Amino acid sequence: MFQFTLLPKRARLVQTILCTAAFLLAQHTLLAQSNQHNIAIRGKVVESQTAQPLAGATVHIKGTTHEVVTNNKGEFNFLTGQRLPVTYSVSYVGFDVTDTTQVSDALFIIQLKPAINQLSDVVVVGYGTQQRRNLIGSVTKVNPAETRNIPAGSFDAQLQGKVPGVQISSNTGVPGEAVNIRVRGATSINADNDPLYVVDGVFINNNTLQTIGTGGKATSPISDINPADIESIEVLKDAEATALYGSRGANGVILITTKRGSFNQRPTINFNASHGWAKAAKLWDLTTGPEHATLVNEWWVNTGTDNPSLNRNFANRPFRPVSEGGRGLPEEQQTYDRLGQVFRTAQLQNYDISLTGGTKTTRYYIGGGFNKQEAILRPIDFNRASFKVNLDQKINDKVQVGVSNTFTRTFRNQARAGDGPAGGLLQAALHTPTYLSPLNEGGIPVGRAGFDNVDLLLQHYDVSSVSLRYIGNLYLDAEILPNLKFRSSFGADYNNYNESEYWNTFLIAGSPNGLATSSIGQFTSLLNEQTLTYRKHGGKHNLGVLVGNTLQSDVYTRTASEGRGFANNSFKLISSAAITTGTQTWTKSTLASFFSKVDYGFAGKYLVDFSVRADASSRFGKDHKWGYFPAVGIAWKADQEQFLKGIEPISTLKLRASYGTTGNQNGIGDFAARGLWSGGTPYQGSAGTAPQQLSNKDLRWEKTTQANVGVDLGLFRDRLNVEFNVYHKYTRDGLLLVSQPATSGFNSYWSNAAEISNRGFELVINTTNICNRNFTWNTSFNIAQNKNRIEKLDAPLKYGSRDLILQQQGSPLYSFWVYRQLYVDPQTGNAVYDDVNGDGKITTGDRQIYGSIWPKFFGGLTNNFNYRGFDAGVFLSFQYGNKIYNHNRFFGEGGGARDAARVILASNFDRWQKPGDITNVPRTDGINVNNYRDGGSRWLEDGSFLRLRSLSVGYTLPKEATQKAGLQTIRFYAVGTNLFTLTKYTGLDPESSAGSGQNEQGIDLGTPPQPRGIQIGVNLTL
Amino acid sequence: MNTIKYLGLLLTLVALTSCEKYLDVEPRASISDDQPIFDKASAETALRGVYSALSDGGYYGTSFQSIGYLSGDNIQWTGSQSQVQEFINHKVNADNSTINAAWIAIYRTINRANNVIKRVGALEEGKLSTALQNGIVGEAYFIRALAYFDLARTWGGVPLITEPSLSQKDNIGVPRSSLTETYNQVISDLDKAEALLPPTTDRHRATQKTVWALKSRYYLYQKNWVKAEEYATKVIDDTNYKLLKPYNAFFANDARGTQESVFEIFYSTTETNSHRGQWQPQERGGTRQWAPSDAFVALVNDPLIGGNRNVLVAKDNQNRWYGNLYYRNPATDPSYIIRISELYLIRAEARAQQGGAKIGGALSELNAVRDRAGLANTTAATQEEVLLAIEAERRIEFAFEPHRWFDLVRTGRAAAVLHVTDPNRLVLPLPAEQLLIDKALVQNDGY
Repeated sequence: MFQFTLLPKRARLVQTILCTAAFLLAQHTLLAQSNQHNIAIRGKVVESQTAQPLAGATVHIKGTTHEVVTNNKGEFNFLTGQRLPVTYSVSYVGFDVTDTTQVSDALFIIQLKPAINQLSDVVVVGYGTQQRRNLIGSVTKVNPAETRNIPAGSFDAQLQGKVPGVQISSNTGVPGEAVNIRVRGATSINADNDPLYVVDGVFINNNTLQTIGTGGKATSPISDINPADIESIEVLKDAEATALYGSRGANGVILITTKRGSFNQRPTINFNASHGWAKAAKLWDLTTGPEHATLVNEWWVNTGTDNPSLNRNFANRPFRPVSEGGRGLPEEQQTYDRLGQVFRTAQLQNYDISLTGGTKTTRYYIGGGFNKQEAILRPIDFNRASFKVNLDQKINDKVQVGVSNTFTRTFRNQARAGDGPAGGLLQAALHTPTYLSPLNEGGIPVGRAGFDNVDLLLQHYDVSSVSLRYIGNLYLDAEILPNLKFRSSFGADYNNYNESEYWNTFLIAGSPNGLATSSIGQFTSLLNEQTLTYRKHGGKHNLGVLVGNTLQSDVYTRTASEGRGFANNSFKLISSAAITTGTQTWTKSTLASFFSKVDYGFAGKYLVDFSVRADASSRFGKDHKWGYFPAVGIAWKADQEQFLKGIEPISTLKLRASYGTTGNQNGIGDFAARGLWSGGTPYQGSAGTAPQQLSNKDLRWEKTTQANVGVDLGLFRDRLNVEFNVYHKYTRDGLLLVSQPATSGFNSYWSNAAEISNRGFELVINTTNICNRNFTWNTSFNIAQNKNRIEKLDAPLKYGSRDLILQQQGSPLYSFWVYRQLYVDPQTGNAVYDDVNGDGKITTGDRQIYGSIWPKFFGGLTNNFNYRGFDAGVFLSFQYGNKIYNHNRFFGEGGGARDAARVILASNFDRWQKPGDITNVPRTDGINVNNYRDGGSRWLEDGSFLRLRSLSVGYTLPKEATQKAGLQTIRFYAVGTNLFTLTKYTGLDPESSAGSGQNEQGIDLGTPPQPRGIQIGVNLTL
Repeated sequence: MNTIKYLGLLLTLVALTSCEKYLDVEPRASISDDQPIFDKASAETALRGVYSALSDGGYYGTSFQSIGYLSGDNIQWTGSQSQVQEFINHKVNADNSTINAAWIAIYRTINRANNVIKRVGALEEGKLSTALQNGIVGEAYFIRALAYFDLARTWGGVPLITEPSLSQKDNIGVPRSSLTETYNQVISDLDKAEALLPPTTDRHRATQKTVWALKSRYYLYQKNWVKAEEYATKVIDDTNYKLLKPYNAFFANDARGTQESVFEIFYSTTETNSHRGQWQPQERGGTRQWAPSDAFVALVNDPLIGGNRNVLVAKDNQNRWYGNLYYRNPATDPSYIIRISELYLIRAEARAQQGGAKIGGALSELNAVRDRAGLANTTAATQEEVLLAIEAERRIEFAFEPHRWFDLVRTGRAAAVLHVTDPNRLVLPLPAEQLLIDKALVQNDGY
């Protein structure tokens, strides 16, 4: 069946070495000697790597109207009397369109390559698409199929390690919660640092609508999008690529293109089902009851020795015999496990079904999905049901209309995983001392150490939210002149976010007589856009012109109410509460934009483009509404030069450079520039008003200029591809909530007062290590470095619990501000801190910046293998050199001083006990006196890690077997996630971060770790 | 095809022409700060805004109050936030977040008062009656006086701000005035308030009588015993104010605005007082971060010392004591600023300090308070004994109100009672946060 036998030995050798592109070429040249004569034409279309026949591929004879579709065996016949040679254009969804010429009358085998990241790939860019080989800017395209099975609620969380220069941290193991995503660093202190997300041309909201406090992290609106509906994800990074998004481009742009059908495609059904299990890889190591008691007694005696006026000694130690009035001897204490109660093996389920196809004038994609993920922390879960319809209709040769629609309902059972006592589930389980019984002397369940009782929490937790989301777009494309195209589109992003809580009287928050809250938030973004595109190819010249405008309005409204005082725990609605209160929020912003781009290519070698966007925002002062964001890019395709054509190993060489400005206004208040008085300050039940905000009429756009230089190199017929980019971003007029001395009666006002730089490089190496008929092995490696620095900031800003984070001129954003513990004096057992100002005392003045959340480098390594029907993928992600503050350890290593108020971690047992002991855990004494000082560096740890993010294996049944079942393909697969993590971090997950604010990253407190998981599934196409 | 061309053109045109209007978005929950006070109603709402600042969690809501009693010796700390422990240990760091919160909240109150004093005072005739205008401005003066009094007794001399902030450049970079200047500002504002306010009785708003009460306290702090006695007498002689029996009558059973009260802050289901959350145990929806110390529990439960004031503490379902002055749900507990018993004890102390024949008067005042608590008359006799007895009485009487620390500091007894031997520690450090952003501020010695 295969054609190798017809070929000379030498050609076979070439084939086994070279990739399939080379195969076609070899075949072409070697068979060129055949004579031309009139003959019936027949052939077969196969998949290039597995040689499986492809049914339903469209074979078109170029220059004619002849077109046929391959049968079930992948075969085709032309009954016309064409003369050889003929040139075919063969297309098949999911594969590159291939042009090939038949010269002999033998059964002609046409091999199609699956469309993967290849240089010939089409890349979606701002307001259009581009051949990858003609790209000037820095754009990374991600194939979501590779990461789709990583159990995370949102696709952005799945991309960690896949996009060079994009740092993605999943800060919690709660599915569907916000991840931290930074494209080439961070540019702002108080404005948003998140990239702009564009789904099928709609700028979508990525800020959470959650208002219920869950102690830190909040739900991610991005998780409303079903990853299975996504065709491709493009990350735009440099100014050339992002400038068309002007005011929102400074933090990068993530373009999401959802799946669409193809014209003339027979209906294809794809079904995917998977089931999985996830579990915490490890849990915290706590002291037992006797150990806890021992440490508390030791602390008691030590503090008594230090300060005799306290009258603390061995005789009156807390854990002395009950008969002496104590709590019993240490060895008499019980140990109660609470962590085991709240952590579970989570069940994961995912079902996706889609129908794609098209007629001559219509194409469609209909997708439905259901995803249910339990968190490893009870009772949290994430349930997403999504429905998608994309439709395109050609009205005639020149006019096409289409719609994209995404409907999603995301239901979540929520719980306070993070900080805070009332309802704090993980806190209650982790931070309650293990010796304390969950029951009081009367046998009644009680909360200890200020936390809720874990059993009662698990039994009565009742916090949930429903997000209803619609993202849609309606467009009309018209070809006004042969080279001039017009597009008008209307887009909408609507999110209805409905949350409710009920706390009954068993729980702290509901004591003493119940509390219920209900909140409905609605975010509506409406978008209208027109573009005119002109493109002309003439000889060596290639010119494109784009002009367009956008109007966008964003409105957020919220109505919330609260009820207190319920008759009993059976009544749960606010309507049955004795006391009810309500509140309402409304805020709006608008944006008007005009943009244009001109690109010009000469001789297929020299590319240049220029773009500009003008944006006006309702948020800024009257004279500063408009911002102008220009960019220029050039590229030289050196491989097209004659002098490089002869140099064998070089198949691609392109040099690129770009420079431009983008802006930022997200994250500031809609009325940030104004001087305001507001209500909401009532007294004695009557309305009150008060100054709320000082005006800043000069408030204007934050602007980031970025220079990027890159080179794309392909060697050995692109079996080795290298992409390297160096960039420098500099942000001026950085939006800052400037601290105002309190004597003015205000704390802060919005200003353009900061400057921040990011510089770094990104390197991607893709190789095809082995590629033959039976076995392929591809490797993709990326590594990036970003150096962030606050270039200008008049006064330092403190963030985070215990002011652990300091933003200060000259240091990177998110630097840790600590008392640096140098060592523990082996003689005294006391911690010795770095006395920075040398005054002999350790005071606030001795706090210093010591590391930051930024890694020195980070990236990922992917290896994919295919052997006949088998496939396997190994995906590692890594980062090196970042710090993380282990706040759980800070609390859990209180040296006994917190006594019955906090758990003690087993690590506290390494404390100094007697002269000569060498340890970094000091002698037990009072909190924040010296040895257990707030903000000590002892709990600041190295957060570097190397993680096996996913390991997947799959098997696609042979075609023969599949076809017997009446199917096109059947693939079984299994995916393991986070199977191992190499790290020195002593907490559970080096990516954990408790805070929800962007300035409070890198502090690990009460956060469930990302679980280790395994999933099995099946994918059917029919 | 032409239709589409024109449609596109039209859309672009519409977009262009309506741009300015499209970009003009007005807020709905706020108004411009150009002229926020323009008539009677807006003057009254602005004044309520000043009271609201006084009731804020940073001021009499929680933070400032807590400085007064945590720094005493009645409270122990059971939570995780060491800024609380710093007060109890008398080792407050400049970066303590409570002091910063209080500093901010007090100056916010001052700015609001300044706005009312300036803007309401400047309203043209006819917008509101002179009596009302005087009343509103007088109340604002009183609140400003209280704010500077609280600043002075906590930090010493502070920047004196008497004009509203209208732009970012206003009222910053102002150096600290001396302690004397700060107290002069207090008495000057009190004098103005006294002249402007009517002699009515209102327990939630300032009147002339409220001014007298604060003046009495002011003169006590100034050790002007005669004046302290004089103003205390003015209030005590007013029959609207009475020592209620038993002790808990002023707060138990959701009482508010009782005859005991000279000035208390009003809270309601929509304007809640965050205090209770710190005191109540978990079974009652609180955190019990602040719990009565063992020593205080022993004292208040001693029938010869606490008397019927033992209702200030209660036991939870884990057999732990908790403070029960702020207990309501929803959290509508008033914050007590001045109670009549304070004026009795001020007069007692002022008389005792004057000594001689006045000792007898001092004893009768002290015994009035003791009697209300269900206690027998004091056995103290000498001036020194009486003063100590008053000090001890105040400790129990105002256990969870912001007095103990300030009392021990003003009487010079902090070293003896609280072992605060470093005199620099008798005032708190200025918030480090503020020093960072305002170079005109100078830190107190020793911090």
